[in-house]
Formats: sequence, C-alpha cells, structure tokens
Amino acid sequence: MTDYVMEAKHVFKTYRIKGEKKGDVKVVDAVKDVSLQIRKGDIKLIFGPSGSGKSTFLRCMAMLDIPDSGEIWLGDECLTKPGVDLNKARARIGFVFQHIYLFKHLTVIGNVELALRQVLKMPKEDARKRAMAALKEVKVTDCINKYPAQLSGGQAQRVGIARAIARQPDIILLDEPTSALDPELTGEVIDTLRDLAHEGTTMLIVSHEMPFAQEVAEEMIFYDEGHIIETGPPSLFFNAPNTDRAKQFMTRIINRTTR
Amino acid sequence: MFDWNHLIFLLEGVPLTLSISLISFLVGIAIGLPLAFTRVYEKEISFVVDIYEKVFRGIPEIVLMLLFFFGLGPFFPTPFNNAFFVVCFVLGLRSAANQSQIYRGAIRGIGDEQMIAGTSVGLSKWRSIWHIMVPQVFTFSTAGLGSEYALLIKDSAYVYVLALLDVTRRADQLRFSTGDYIWYIIAAIIYIALTFPIAFSLDKWGNRRKKKIGL
Repeated sequence: MTDYVMEAKHVFKTYRIKGEKKGDVKVVDAVKDVSLQIRKGDIKLIFGPSGSGKSTFLRCMAMLDIPDSGEIWLGDECLTKPGVDLNKARARIGFVFQHIYLFKHLTVIGNVELALRQVLKMPKEDARKRAMAALKEVKVTDCINKYPAQLSGGQAQRVGIARAIARQPDIILLDEPTSALDPELTGEVIDTLRDLAHEGTTMLIVSHEMPFAQEVAEEMIFYDEGHIIETGPPSLFFNAPNTDRAKQFMTRIINRTTR
Repeated sequence: MFDWNHLIFLLEGVPLTLSISLISFLVGIAIGLPLAFTRVYEKEISFVVDIYEKVFRGIPEIVLMLLFFFGLGPFFPTPFNNAFFVVCFVLGLRSAANQSQIYRGAIRGIGDEQMIAGTSVGLSKWRSIWHIMVPQVFTFSTAGLGSEYALLIKDSAYVYVLALLDVTRRADQLRFSTGDYIWYIIAAIIYIALTFPIAFSLDKWGNRRKKKIGL
C-alpha cells in the first residue's frame, strides 16, 4: 500500500507547435523531469508564469495528455503502464477546466449525471440524488434545468466543479478554475473551493489566487520552464522565497493583486 | 373534365416517394455518422472514407441502380431483384457520402473541447462520441440535413427507370392515358409540398436549439 493518493515520477512531456514558416516546427519542453506526491487530504497549489507548462503537467496527471516518459500513479495503480484501463482511472480523478467545457447540449443536472449513469452505471434515482447533492455542495440548485449557455461564468464553473466531485473521485485537479472568469465572479468559485478544502477534499490546483492559496494550501509549488523550481508552505513564498525567480514572480503577482 | 380519380391515383404514389426518401435518409445517417467520425478521429484509415465519398458522389445514381438491379439482380435475386431495395440502397449509400461531409463540418465546428471533457469524466472515446458529440452534431447540421432530405425526395424519382409506381411514374402514365401535361405540373407541386415544409421546419428547429445551447 502506498501512502499517496497520486504521484508523478520523473514525468517528461514535449509538444510541437507549428512555426510561422511552413514546415517550421517548434518543440516545447512543457514538463521536464517533474515528480510530485499527494497524500489524502492534501491541498497543493501550482503557480508560475503563463506558458511554463503547468497546465500540461496537470493534464498529464489526469492522463488527458500522455506523458512521453515517467510514471503517473493513482493509488496503487500505474497509469503509464501499457494496457491500463485509462477510462476507469479517469473516473476516479475529477478535472476542472479553465474554460469549463460543460456539455453544451445537456442541462446542468444532465452534465453532472452523465458520468454517474454512463461510467459508474448508477441507477437513475441514485444518480439523480448524487448529482443533486453535488449541486447543493456548489450552491447551484435553482437552475438545474438550464443549459450551460444560459448560466453566468461563475455558475458554469461551479457546475464544472459539481461534475468533477459527483463521482466522489480520489483527487480533484483544477486547471486555473477562476482565470477565465470576470473578476467579480471569481469570489463565488473561490468560496466553493474553500468549502471543499474545509471538507478535506484532496486537491491539486493550478492557480494564481494568492489569498486563497495562503488560506488553504499546505504546499505551494513554483513552476517555471517545465520544472518545479521551489516548493514550500505559503508562508515561505509570502515572506522570503529561496530562489530569485520565485522572489521576482511573487513580487510581481502581489503588486498586481494589491494595486 | 377533371377526373378526381386521376388525382387520387397520382397521390397514391406519395407513400412510395416518401418511404424511399425516408429510408435512404436513415441509411445515410447509419452509414454517414460512423464515416464522419472515422474520418476525423481515426487518421490512419480516414483515406477509406475519402475514397467512399469520392466514389458515391462521383458516379450517377442511375448508373449504380441499373448496375445493381440488372447486373447483380440475376445472380443475387435477394435482395437485388427488388427495385425498392435497390433504390433505397443506392440513394442511402449516396446520401451517406453527403451526410458524412455535413457531419464532418459539424464535428470540426464543435471542436475538441467537448471530447476532452467527456474523456475527463471517464467516458471512452466512442462513448463520448455517442453521448456528447452525436446530439450536438445533429443540432449543428440541421440546415445541411434539410437540404439533403429535399435532395432525396427529388432523387426518389429515379425509381422511374425501375418501373415502380411513384409520383413521377404515375404522372407519366396519366399523361399517356389522358394526353394532358397538367399531371407533370401537379407532380411538381406535390414534390414542392413534400420537400419545402420539412426542410424549413428542420432548419427552424435547429436554429432555435442552436441558440438555446450556444452552438
């Protein structure tokens, strides 16, 4: 038995983007030898400059992007081994997207129920009950029959969170859950995440919401150019980070939020 | 003197015309959808879909019908000696080629995000396609499907060459027995009445639905 809910071991991932000239291909090292362990109930927050590969790493954790090398472990199961049933594994991982990606043709309740019915094969009434409980958790119970296009950004993202937690996954991975929202709507999503944190939900969050991080994160991870540069408790980063790069980044981001 | 029995005789061809177009439309869905998804998501074998589309869009339907009916009919009387089957079969295969292109446009328009979201909740690729993409693809495609259906109503008149008594052939027989060309005009009106309302309401429904779900 491993102690970890999830673990990344020496993960590498590069991707190619087309350059300006035809046939010109640029190779980006998004994840270079990244290792990370998460215990039950941990809340870890990854932050760093945009384009540094944080999101790619998070997608590798959920095997939405397949790592080039290295291992991803979910409990006792190695997901990077060939022949693993990845769909079954992904059912145990909740993923919240920056751009939300709700199923457009389904109502709010339909969005939350789909995986319960089709992946967990729950009977109709049980799935409905479970979906309602998840929606209650994120405080979206008044518009369960609306379509995603009819929701505000904050409501939509809370439904996105409900969709992720309804399966009662081992861990929830959140990819900048507030950064695509209007500033006045981020608060309600942060409140939801705070509630989840207080219930002991295991979470790995890519985010730049610093006050939130300071409040709930056990560990912050500064990520740049495909590497983990520095890790430590929020107090470390808010007082005196060890690396210059983290220092610079923290200065910039704190100035931005207090301005 | 206008003989109402003649008009009734003509209208009795409507069920045949309708059933040919409806059945070939359904055959087109059943084959066209998998073709479109194969074309977009299975890169290694997408060339097969390309060839299929080129073949069935390039050969005149009438050549295929004659080929199947007179070429295969004697050797495989079931099912190729059946004119109704041959017409639905050929029009269905042709429609699948058209519909595949319509659906492909829709799949590209919807983009990868919905599939990624499906994968993230634990659905397999083909389950994501079935539960998430297919319903959206139909909503996206209503305008194209409306004109495809209209095309099939018109092309059902090809059964003329295989001597089935559809609206066209009945109009021709009436012209022959009464010597009056008005029957062609009445047939034309019937065809308009069969195509226009369906295409129109499908488009309208699609636009409403698209607006609602923000496609």
